[in-house]
Amino acid sequence: MTTPHAWQRNHLIRDAIYRAIEERMRADPTVMLIGEGAEMKVHYDAPNIERDFKDRVLTLPITEDCNTNFAVGLAIAGCKPICNIITSDFMLRAMDSICNTVAKTAYCDKPRTIVIQAEFMTGGPTTGQRLEGLFTRIPGLNVVVPSNPADAYGLMLTALQRPEATVFFEDRMIEDADIDPADECGEDSYSIPFGVSAKYQGDEVTVVTYGLTVQHLCHLKPRTRIEIIDLRTLWPLDVETVLRSTERTGRLLVVEPDVMFGGIGAELVAQVVAQGRPVRTERLGAPRATLPACRELHERYVPSDTEILEAIESLLR
Amino acid sequence: MIELDIRCDICGMRLHFPMGTVIVGPVCCSDHGQYSEWHKNALLPKRPPVFDRVSNTNDLFRIMLTIRLVEERLQAMCMRGEAGDLHFSKGQEAISVGVCAALRPTDHIVTHHRTIAHEIAKAYSMPSQRSIFLRSLIAEILGKRTGVNGGIAGEMHISNPAIRHDFSFQLVGTSVPVATGIAWALKNAELFSKQKNDEIVAVFFGDAASSNGQVHEALTIAAIHKVPLLLVCENNGLAGNVTKEHYLPTKTVAERMKAYGIPAETIDGNNVDVVRSDAMLASAWVRDGGGPMMLECMTTRLSHHKQGQGDARSKEQLAELAKLDPLLQISVSGEHPGAYGPVRGTLESEINRELDDVFARVALDPLPEPNFHA
Repeated sequence: MTTPHAWQRNHLIRDAIYRAIEERMRADPTVMLIGEGAEMKVHYDAPNIERDFKDRVLTLPITEDCNTNFAVGLAIAGCKPICNIITSDFMLRAMDSICNTVAKTAYCDKPRTIVIQAEFMTGGPTTGQRLEGLFTRIPGLNVVVPSNPADAYGLMLTALQRPEATVFFEDRMIEDADIDPADECGEDSYSIPFGVSAKYQGDEVTVVTYGLTVQHLCHLKPRTRIEIIDLRTLWPLDVETVLRSTERTGRLLVVEPDVMFGGIGAELVAQVVAQGRPVRTERLGAPRATLPACRELHERYVPSDTEILEAIESLLR
Repeated sequence: MIELDIRCDICGMRLHFPMGTVIVGPVCCSDHGQYSEWHKNALLPKRPPVFDRVSNTNDLFRIMLTIRLVEERLQAMCMRGEAGDLHFSKGQEAISVGVCAALRPTDHIVTHHRTIAHEIAKAYSMPSQRSIFLRSLIAEILGKRTGVNGGIAGEMHISNPAIRHDFSFQLVGTSVPVATGIAWALKNAELFSKQKNDEIVAVFFGDAASSNGQVHEALTIAAIHKVPLLLVCENNGLAGNVTKEHYLPTKTVAERMKAYGIPAETIDGNNVDVVRSDAMLASAWVRDGGGPMMLECMTTRLSHHKQGQGDARSKEQLAELAKLDPLLQISVSGEHPGAYGPVRGTLESEINRELDDVFARVALDPLPEPNFHA
């Protein structure tokens, strides 16, 4: 007999997410998991959910747009659906239902818990688009991009307990990354509030980022003590922590894995500069370009370790 | 009323005959070919009320007239610039009134952007909601804090839990997938609430929406899971200002349903008695677990797509179409031939007195607080 949380792989963000979902399913009979291949996914990744809550896992056709609207219907009828759209690119198929239906029913009627879940892949032009910045522009949606399994667990618990719509991204490459044991998802139950970033102490340069890039930054060895701020949620956005940190350091670097143009970095830099204090700022991010399918070019697409280190150096000069 | 358990020869749908009916031939529920005409001739006039909320044709006429008068007032306000551009359903009232009269108070409706008729029809089919309802509806349409959604949703996004109007979707086609989700949850209510549930969802959409991808995606899911969904297609032959040769490759919307194994019947959507009795049959089928069913209600829209826009149809065409006005149909057919010509004037002044009061109150109501939260 397996215990509820007998996960074999605590270091995978996917397992952490399923652990949170399972916990909420156990506590709340209205939590449902729907989407393309939902039953098959839990069969491989969440055997406990398959065993105990088979009836509340619903496989739907490859109809992302309809599935998301279907989830709104479930929510109106009193359920708390998690709609799995598989990859971020498929979300573009469901932009109408996400931005018009999910986000706006909350405003006109009443807010309800809906989680739309997708992962970032790195397959090429239409299998690897970063859309988190896009969704921060849509009122009515929370945007979550956890950087490690421990956060993913706590943030998913929160998403399922807030009467709000949340777009929940899984930065898939984290599975391949070298996870610090401290970031593994343990056995304890805890939730992480939205709009509160995590901080890795330092005092000379504030480096703001989120998702997989946090893992990269933590492994860098710059010659100075940098303060890494992991945003965790892009909406609500923890501007407060960034402002306080830059007050101390006087230097801000934003590293985003998303397209840099008009992105979260631009927003943060603008807000910091608007405070009127002398702060040196720098942004790094992906070009406004299509991700090529060639795997060797992927690393050139997002900011490299060298570029990040150089940017930190340039702020110190 | 005791009913015989007689089922359709083709699809097995339970049919409601009054006790004592003698069945002389094959029985069919809808347009499955040769039985159709027999079915229509033999069955329609005898259909008994299964679950009657609004007691008689008189009431139905009154509700339709109320919708017409409310819309006319709002239209005049649009023309004077006192209201935004609204979507009216002049000429289509019989569908919402007939369908809502056939539903139970606990049944849900999900609608499209032309919501005024649905809202009034659903509320008025529940006598307890009538008196408190009109003011909050008018206030919502005119953007007042006393509106049913606080004045921020407007005509196209109204929802009203008190009458189980779950939501209205301005985007064409969205109503069907959302209604499918609600219907799935109602069917599987035991999973969430430990209670069985025999509520159904009636979803309204136009013939133009039947060409939208989301509708077909939703029909797929609805048919697979046999959800309790009554699909009400308001076929007015128009997509905004565009006529149907531009968007409908088939003669009817009903024939598209065959691809999904969803029974569908094309009916006269301008006769409220026909709509109500057919909606009763259809809702009984849906409630009995038969899965989704569609009523394609043939109708015509006498108002423009949107107040403030021109119309694709000529004045002559509109004059010809005006003969199909459901308010005229009811007076020359059904049990009360010619009954409504003489009483219409009296009814109108009664309703207008109520509306004078409602509009006067709403005019004084406060605006919503600016609340630009996420």
